[in-house]
Amino acid sequence: MTQKMAEAVKHLPKIDSQTFANSKYYKGGFEQKMTRREAALILGISPSASKLKVKEAHKRVMSLNHPDRGGSPYIAAKINEAKDLLDSSK
Amino acid sequence: MAKYLVQVIILGTQVIGRAFARALQQEYRASQEAAKRAGGGRQGAARAAANLSSGLTLEEAKQILDVSNIDKESLEKNFKHLFAVNDKSKGGSFYLQSKVVRAKERLDQELADASKIKQKP
Repeated sequence: MTQKMAEAVKHLPKIDSQTFANSKYYKGGFEQKMTRREAALILGISPSASKLKVKEAHKRVMSLNHPDRGGSPYIAAKINEAKDLLDSSK
Repeated sequence: MAKYLVQVIILGTQVIGRAFARALQQEYRASQEAAKRAGGGRQGAARAAANLSSGLTLEEAKQILDVSNIDKESLEKNFKHLFAVNDKSKGGSFYLQSKVVRAKERLDQELADASKIKQKP
């Protein structure tokens, strides 16, 4: 048990120069289940943005991250999911 | 009256104590399970701990940066590209850029852990 404890303490988030350099970025990974808030953050718009704004933002962010242009398929899927979520609940 | 009160208190503490013990057991088992799922052994334990402290699993980090096995070069290349395209100045989303940064951090951590384990077998 004490060994476990020591291990846990060792793996606590270390505070070094890198932590401070990157502290402005959002923490962690994507949420388990996408919320409206996360969808809006992904597209860089307000959660209450109009359908047209959602469409424009999706087009812009998607064109940057398109898998055909070296983007990550996982991120592209997240962008599409974000658009679907913001479109569906209106 | 006082007797009943004492009885109630004793019963209450017993119930709470048992529940607490069970929760601890569960927590311990869950952490072991997580280590096993993450590959078992010392590497599995390190991986599970890193997953927990970064809030990002190794699998998701790999998916975000679109690398199947972690080698330093493709990791660096994909990170540079994804970081650049998602920059705010180009109309990108800061949230997505953050995820890219965190995924890179997570994979760097994985590389560091792997080399540390290799050093002391």
